[in-house]
Amino acid sequence: MPGSFVLPLVLGLPILGAIFVMCMPRSETTLHRGLGLAFTIATLVASLFMLRYFNPREAGFQLVFDTEWIPGLGAHFKTGVDGISVFLVLLTTLLMPLTLLCTGKAIEKHVREFTAAMLVLETGMLGAFVSLDLFLFYVAWEVMLIPMYLLIGIWGGQRRLYASIKFVIYTMVGSLLMLVAIFYVYVQAGSVLGGYTTDLERLLTVALPYNAQVWCFAAFALAFAIKVPLFPLHTWLPDAHVEAPTAGSVILAGVLLKFGIYGFLRYAMPMFPHGAAVWAPTIAILSVIGIIYGAIVAFAQDDVKKLVAYSSVSHLGFCALGVFALTSYGISGSIFAMLSHGLTTGGLFLGIGVLYERRHTRRLSEYGGIWKQMPVFAGLFLIVVMGSAGLPALSGFVGEFLTILGTFIAGDTLPGGYELPMPRLLGALAATGVVLGAIYLLWMFQKVFFGKLDKAKNGKLPDLNGRELATFIPLVIGIFLLGVFPRPLLFVMEPAVQKFTRDFGRRITECDGPPHSYGTRSCDPRMKGQADIQRNLDDVARGAAGVSHTLGGTGGTGGTVNTPPGAGARGDEGAAGNGAGGSAESAGSAGSAGTGRPTP
Amino acid sequence: MSFNPADLGYLVPYLILAATGMLLVLAEAFYHGEDRTALATLTAAGAFASAIASVVLFRQLEGNTKISLLGDMLVADRTGYVLSALFAVTTGLAALSSPAHQREHDWQIGEYYGVMLLSASGMVMLAHAANLVTVFLGIENMSIGVYVMCAMRRRSRRGNEAAMKYFLIGAFATGFLMYGIALIYGAGGTTKIAQLATVLSQTKNPGLVVAGGFLLVIAFGFKVAAVPFHMWAPDAYEGAPTPVTAFMAAAVKAAAVAAMIRVFGTALGGDVVPFGTLGWASPLVVIAAITITVGNITAVRQDNIKRMLAYSSISHAGVLLVGVSALGLGAPSANTSLVYYLIAYSFTTMGAFAIVAYVGSRNRERLLVDDWAGLGAQHPAIALGMTILLLSFGGIPPTGGFFAKFYIFKAAMEVYDGQLLWLVVVGVINSAISIYYYLRIVTAMYFREATQPFAPTRSGGLLFVIVVCPLLVLELGIMPGWWLRLVG
Repeated sequence: MPGSFVLPLVLGLPILGAIFVMCMPRSETTLHRGLGLAFTIATLVASLFMLRYFNPREAGFQLVFDTEWIPGLGAHFKTGVDGISVFLVLLTTLLMPLTLLCTGKAIEKHVREFTAAMLVLETGMLGAFVSLDLFLFYVAWEVMLIPMYLLIGIWGGQRRLYASIKFVIYTMVGSLLMLVAIFYVYVQAGSVLGGYTTDLERLLTVALPYNAQVWCFAAFALAFAIKVPLFPLHTWLPDAHVEAPTAGSVILAGVLLKFGIYGFLRYAMPMFPHGAAVWAPTIAILSVIGIIYGAIVAFAQDDVKKLVAYSSVSHLGFCALGVFALTSYGISGSIFAMLSHGLTTGGLFLGIGVLYERRHTRRLSEYGGIWKQMPVFAGLFLIVVMGSAGLPALSGFVGEFLTILGTFIAGDTLPGGYELPMPRLLGALAATGVVLGAIYLLWMFQKVFFGKLDKAKNGKLPDLNGRELATFIPLVIGIFLLGVFPRPLLFVMEPAVQKFTRDFGRRITECDGPPHSYGTRSCDPRMKGQADIQRNLDDVARGAAGVSHTLGGTGGTGGTVNTPPGAGARGDEGAAGNGAGGSAESAGSAGSAGTGRPTP
Repeated sequence: MSFNPADLGYLVPYLILAATGMLLVLAEAFYHGEDRTALATLTAAGAFASAIASVVLFRQLEGNTKISLLGDMLVADRTGYVLSALFAVTTGLAALSSPAHQREHDWQIGEYYGVMLLSASGMVMLAHAANLVTVFLGIENMSIGVYVMCAMRRRSRRGNEAAMKYFLIGAFATGFLMYGIALIYGAGGTTKIAQLATVLSQTKNPGLVVAGGFLLVIAFGFKVAAVPFHMWAPDAYEGAPTPVTAFMAAAVKAAAVAAMIRVFGTALGGDVVPFGTLGWASPLVVIAAITITVGNITAVRQDNIKRMLAYSSISHAGVLLVGVSALGLGAPSANTSLVYYLIAYSFTTMGAFAIVAYVGSRNRERLLVDDWAGLGAQHPAIALGMTILLLSFGGIPPTGGFFAKFYIFKAAMEVYDGQLLWLVVVGVINSAISIYYYLRIVTAMYFREATQPFAPTRSGGLLFVIVVCPLLVLELGIMPGWWLRLVG
């Protein structure tokens, strides 16, 4: 495939840089900073080559690089991007040099280790975005964890021990349960495909039993929901943000949180559509709670970093809602909102870093009236704040508008078997989050920049220096560009997003049963009722307990139990399938009856 | 029982270890001077030579060939040679890390090295055991040596206590082992492992098999320090000199698991014992689950690094038992995964204890977690190595420990009908718990300031182990393919 060298290059440069930096003598801090910056910029340039080879009209994965990694296990080193991930990769490679640039003199101890940790972190993040292999994804996912832990723990604030351990334990618990689900998928798919593989595209051809999908989705969703973070799993985030150094906060909010949403889009939803259908109402409601709760709690904070941390809870709620609305508006909006959030929240944390370096406090009440002292900074920061609050013509507006729109119209387009409770109400409630967001962000801006200059220490604050300007300007330009010209980005995302919803709709209509490849068991949604009846008869025949399955109201999209010609033949086929499937079938169906499966 | 001189060719790894061991005991008698580095070097040379012999013999054998030796007492196969090479290398690493510790803590006894090699020869016997009698002999040969090594630091009261405890409990376990073998023999009429599987499935005395199987589970439970037979381990690990602790935690445990692979995988494998749907694995899976959990939760409460690593090694024994259970239940990749786990675990353990030995010195052994505060700032390379090893213990990629755990759990998932799924969930949740205490050490090393400068025990051998082990552990995690071809 043309351009297949780009992604390995993008992944290799930062890790190469980390090794390089670690080999330098310890005292040469300027050299470490310079090398870190050079390697991240080189990565950015390399990642721009993606655009050269990327065909925006194609929906599938592009720039695919595939080589065998662990032969006995079927694990491949397989990377590729599509319209969903390509901009997230660019966001990562753009934020990294800016972060290192802004760090400047703020980090003085262990500069070498700091730079190396940042570079390893970049490899982990990029690897998780471009991986097309479940094993590689898990490895990259975990590789991100340790550098972030060290960033918070070594270069963090007062309560850094507590915050770093909390961050690790939260993330680990989620990701290990995901690992169990990965094992399950891996072993089941191995028996269906006739050989073990962790290749995502091949795993996606396997339909798992209904019950297994529900549990596996739950395991994946826990890992991703902690990362997003969804209410009530968000409590690690404010601690981590407050204690992390500026660079850590920028990367944490700008990139790491996106893995939750991205994981849902790339892994959890395509692999377990039935599971997604079962958990979607819960996740959608939790997202809306998160949007409103995050906004309200943010308003109550005196610590600026905590305020921005809670605003992330609120903003990422929009992204989660948009994804689970399952419309192309919602999903495109969600990806767009992630990009916008990466730029604006990155900018907010950079701004806080600028203030903190000058005043060494993050308390809102310590500031006030510094517009006059730092006019350039105030102007740029205002654009960032407005972008975050969702002012039209800036980036935040497009994403939030699209996710709300997507949720609002979700009721009309959802595939059979996938429901959201009162999508219009969810959309309306989410919209209040936009208003609340404007309130707390402007309130924060006002407390810092307006009012009387009554603190003596605020009297002589120097404005931005050249280095700080260099970090802010690209972000502000990005915020403007995304807001004014959202079309090109949405255009590139569209084929991949459409493919996502199309595939999802196709997969969810396929009847469940023992693990099989999609398309090999011929049963269309209208026959689902028949399949259920047949399974229940089988359960009764096996004496399985708990068959309180209601037969009324089944019948898929038709809404009625219809018996088209050939139903008898289908019944036979089902029975034959059961015979072949053996006890796995009975376990799956008995379980699905037991859990009170919602009848479509 | 016939003796065929040609068989000795297959036993070269064993013979090298035994001969070098006896030579060393003799050499000590004529040795002058305090420092035993020369003896240690000779030990390591013998051990590595034995490992090379194993590799050569390994390459001569075809995939699944099993060559019966000395009238079915021993068997030469690829698994056996991989494991005997591993035991020999571990022994060599333990020998290299010993002289500096002996010098710093005043227990320069030369017999130590001879005993170590003789004990290692017992391990090699276990790796090749084809008869319950050789299993017994191997275990005794190995254990008696380790009891002596444990007691080498005569002036340390803790050391004496540790050795006494270890010896008494070990003798107790031997009784179980002997009794179990006797009952199995009573039911099957043979002690040949390869024949037992078929003979036992037709036995007229299933009660004897059940009782014998239980006794064997208990005996091996003692040897690998599985809960509730683990009480000796923390005291013994803490009291023994650090290189001996490493040897016990890595090689002795691995050898016991090697014997379990033979006994439970082959002799009792298949549909032998009417224990319920899981066969003899039903007590074993319960023990595995309890072992992982108790080991981890107790480790969280430890302030002494050696005790913490002792409890961590108990929980690793639990993971190994998961693999043994999967092996008995017919999971195809269980054998490979167990061998891989033993390799990754052995190198991780040897490296971690070598660093523990390095950090302490004559005046201050620095065994508490608090004593390690600030190591990252003063000795960044050592702290980085320890971090890699701890991450490997905790099963975080890209380390060998992660891949080993992944592979064991994968094998457990292969068991028919997902019967061990719950065990995998238990194991995985415990991994999250274990991260907490492993990171406590990382936290101390990097996030806190040192109270006084470190005065580490420097020696070439120790540094060699400290450099090689983390690199190998990383290599095992990033490029497992080569190792898998080797052990699969």
